[in-house]
Amino acid sequence: MNAQKKYGMSIDVDRCTGCGSCMVACAVENNIPPAHAGANDRNGLTWIRVYKVDNGEDYPGKRSAFIPVLCQQCGEHTPCASVCPQQAVDVDPRTGIVGQMPERCLGCRYCMAACPYHARYFNWWDPRWPAGMEKTLNPDVAPRMRGVVEKCNFCHGRWHAAKQKAAAAGKSEIEPGDYVPACVEACPTGAIRFGDLNDPSNDLRHPDSFRLLKKLGTDPKIYYRSKRDWVRNVAQASRPVSSQKEASHG
Amino acid sequence: MTTTRRDIFKFAGGSALGALLTPAPWRLITDTALWSENWPGIPRPARGEIRAKFTHCSLCPAGCAVRARCVGEQPVSLAGVRGGLCPFGVTGHQLPYHPARLRQGPVSEAMAAVADAIAKCGPGERVAVLDLRPGRTASWTARRAMAVLKNGWYIAPVQSPVAVDLTKARTVLSLSAPLLERWGTPANVFAVRDGFRLIQADPVESRTAALADLWLPIRPGSEEALALGLAGQLTSAETAAMTGLSEHQIESVGQTIGFGRLSLVIDRAMSPAVVALNVKLGGWGRTIVPRAEAPVPPEWKKAAPVTDLAAVPDRSIRVLLIDESAPGEYLPWDAIEKKLAAGNPLVVVFAWSANGYGRYAKYVLPTPVYPEATDDIPPAIDSPAPCFRIAAPLLAAPAGVVTPSEFIASLAGLPPADALRERARAIHQGGRGTLVTYADAKSVPVKEVKPDDFWKALNAGGCWVGQALPPANFRAPVGQALPPANPSQGLVVLATPPAPSPASPLFTKLYQESDLLLAPNCIALHPQDAARCGVSAGNRATLETPNGKWSVRILTDSSVRPGVVLAARPEMASASGKVVRV
Amino acid sequence: MRGKIIFLAGLAAALGAGWAGFPYAIYTSRPQPVDFSHKVHADKAGAKCEDCHAFRDDGTFAGIPTLDKCAGCHAAAMGTTAAEENFIDQYVTPQREPPWASYARQPENVFFSHAAHVKLGNVKCESCHGALGASDKLPRYRQDRISGYSRLGMSMTDCIACHRQQARADSCLDCHK
Repeated sequence: MNAQKKYGMSIDVDRCTGCGSCMVACAVENNIPPAHAGANDRNGLTWIRVYKVDNGEDYPGKRSAFIPVLCQQCGEHTPCASVCPQQAVDVDPRTGIVGQMPERCLGCRYCMAACPYHARYFNWWDPRWPAGMEKTLNPDVAPRMRGVVEKCNFCHGRWHAAKQKAAAAGKSEIEPGDYVPACVEACPTGAIRFGDLNDPSNDLRHPDSFRLLKKLGTDPKIYYRSKRDWVRNVAQASRPVSSQKEASHG
Repeated sequence: MTTTRRDIFKFAGGSALGALLTPAPWRLITDTALWSENWPGIPRPARGEIRAKFTHCSLCPAGCAVRARCVGEQPVSLAGVRGGLCPFGVTGHQLPYHPARLRQGPVSEAMAAVADAIAKCGPGERVAVLDLRPGRTASWTARRAMAVLKNGWYIAPVQSPVAVDLTKARTVLSLSAPLLERWGTPANVFAVRDGFRLIQADPVESRTAALADLWLPIRPGSEEALALGLAGQLTSAETAAMTGLSEHQIESVGQTIGFGRLSLVIDRAMSPAVVALNVKLGGWGRTIVPRAEAPVPPEWKKAAPVTDLAAVPDRSIRVLLIDESAPGEYLPWDAIEKKLAAGNPLVVVFAWSANGYGRYAKYVLPTPVYPEATDDIPPAIDSPAPCFRIAAPLLAAPAGVVTPSEFIASLAGLPPADALRERARAIHQGGRGTLVTYADAKSVPVKEVKPDDFWKALNAGGCWVGQALPPANFRAPVGQALPPANPSQGLVVLATPPAPSPASPLFTKLYQESDLLLAPNCIALHPQDAARCGVSAGNRATLETPNGKWSVRILTDSSVRPGVVLAARPEMASASGKVVRV
Repeated sequence: MRGKIIFLAGLAAALGAGWAGFPYAIYTSRPQPVDFSHKVHADKAGAKCEDCHAFRDDGTFAGIPTLDKCAGCHAAAMGTTAAEENFIDQYVTPQREPPWASYARQPENVFFSHAAHVKLGNVKCESCHGALGASDKLPRYRQDRISGYSRLGMSMTDCIACHRQQARADSCLDCHK
């Protein structure tokens, strides 16, 4: 039997430039289609989404930071799993990953209402790619259909591939380097790190780190870090955007 | 005996009950559910053997090393070899399927028209190639071709004569250079980011400014004044007046970067004033070095010189061939247009999409796009050593596209030889430097590699790295003090760092499904300015500058300096813009 | 009395159609492109399944062999059967891949690793594929008219039964992708 894993992430907010590599790499990996013409920032599909937050001041006192928010893989009272009427959400006891089963989902979106992190997304449209671009789809992830909810699952296709590679070599344990989610691999600044939280050697749960909306007690597996106090305060606010209509630039 | 209505109902009732006791209805329900999961409206990813291929990204001058995950021959995802890729690089394999991709063009017709126009060139009229990314092997081919034509000219944006060595710097002062966004090679920059203190002088709180150790909010356009001030060519008071910083701030920066402190000053293109300041700070041979190029075969030296567009006489170009296949620096069209001969000049554009100069051209010829294109990427500005790396194609280019350098070479009757291979041979004959291969992460001296293996390794995503040039005597160009800019009439429009355009269709994740990046059809301005112009966030408006008018969507952002408009398209940049609500 | 008979007649007709007719009517069926005998090949070409149904270097399973593998022996006729002659004329000579229909192919949303089951779990091929490897004739390929699934494929119920029995992973995403 495999050793119990608890996969998690550490995101250094002070290194994130908000370039968006993680967001597009996630879409490439997980076969998420480009936006429908009618989509906007409320109904698009972005399993990982980088929010721009600021300290609330005006130019030149304003300071901005970028916080990537993905499924926080809650370990306690997982809000989405507890409300799903279809048992389409489960928490894998061996990896700690919160799994979402589009095939079981009936599209009621109760989980989206329950998720305090807005990390679940609904397929409002049929998945469509520009002609020819479907050739670039990743064979390790099945495209979803219209009418179901989806979310980050720590690139489960890559976990499958790593398991398969280990099995082919006759091993039941994967090499940690073989399982790296797409956003982690894509991050040019090294702000996102990934690993087994049970393994003390990887320093993901640094004492200075914080988790989003700690007061809810959902025990997320995504640990954030920042030396800036105002960033740490923003991370405890219910919606991590200070003024939604404000844009960022790049 | 007759069948009554009642009999039919009884029979139907019996059948209904019977049917419920068979698998049929339940099976139909299950099957329908399964069909809905796999119905033909959902595309199916192709399956097959998965393998890794290596290449270099040619979307920008950084030329990051790329590992492509391929199913059969088809790349399905890209990753960086030495650190992550930018979002453009991550989605590069989707560009061949971009809806804006050009696939057909009148190649033979354009060829005949160009040959005809060259033959009919009047005295003093010229044939010119405008290359947006000079220094490539394809650029050398164009230069050789222009040397063969007696009235040929090779025009390219001026390249900085220096490269920087970030590994040596303890303090970096960036004058609006997007160091942490799109300047140099991301893997190199972030590998040493913790080794230097970053001071960002920037009119807006750019991404680099947001993560800098110190952000100096200067007036737009006053970067050069700050450089001259720090070099002592302007007084603190003059510099303060021009940059909008306090004298104290300027003096404090001056002390931080002071002489001999391993400081590096950069701006977007390493302008002469900035190079002069670095030399003055003692950085020559340390933090800045002469920019080195990979060797070329000796017979290529008879190439046409590189001419700056500004040095070309007005109204002198009869035939202009613009190579846009490798995106580079943006040159405003009106600067190009005034160099064209009066009366029906012939403009041919080589591009993979119709987004660029194509709209001004008589012929637009489709080119291969990364990762179909075979090209090399000259050393980036943060590469102190020369290098030679090939963007080896991962996909076959479709029929009907044309490689610009082949087209240009055939005009001059140059043999259609493989210039990249010739250059690789010359590098190998030089015998210096090492060959780095990514598949096995090895680095071998070139002397120990056979010529054929060298060529093969380069095409499999290898990279030749030479030795940095010894710092020769360098005469620093003298920066000139500029007169203080006139107070702008209206708003100053600044452009975000230039990006490959168009980007993958998946960029809707960053433009439309979130507002992470400023979309090409959006502008951002301070809420006060927005109120003054009578617009608010989400409104449609027109941006008017002397260069043109654009229909844009408004975003408000209090990290943009009042009086400044931030736009994503370089052609919108202007010293005086106006925003009008539609 | 007559009413009862008619009712029972309806019941019987539906039961007959539902149990006897429907399970056949729901499938389309087509023969495999080549009249292939696993038995003959097991005797003459390779003793083990893996000799033709091989793993790739990266641990993925290649499934039905491609034409190159067949052409290795059948570049010219080895025997005298009509089936072999047809195969060479129609596929080997024109170098056209036979459009094999895979009985056991899982739908797009399933991740199945042969490596994990065969190499790590020591599951026998026959446990899932039945006695296909010893058969002399390929059965017709039957495909569900609505869902498009193969009749001989493993269903989720089959997978789960074994996983539960062996106390193996049974979280959704262990097998779904």
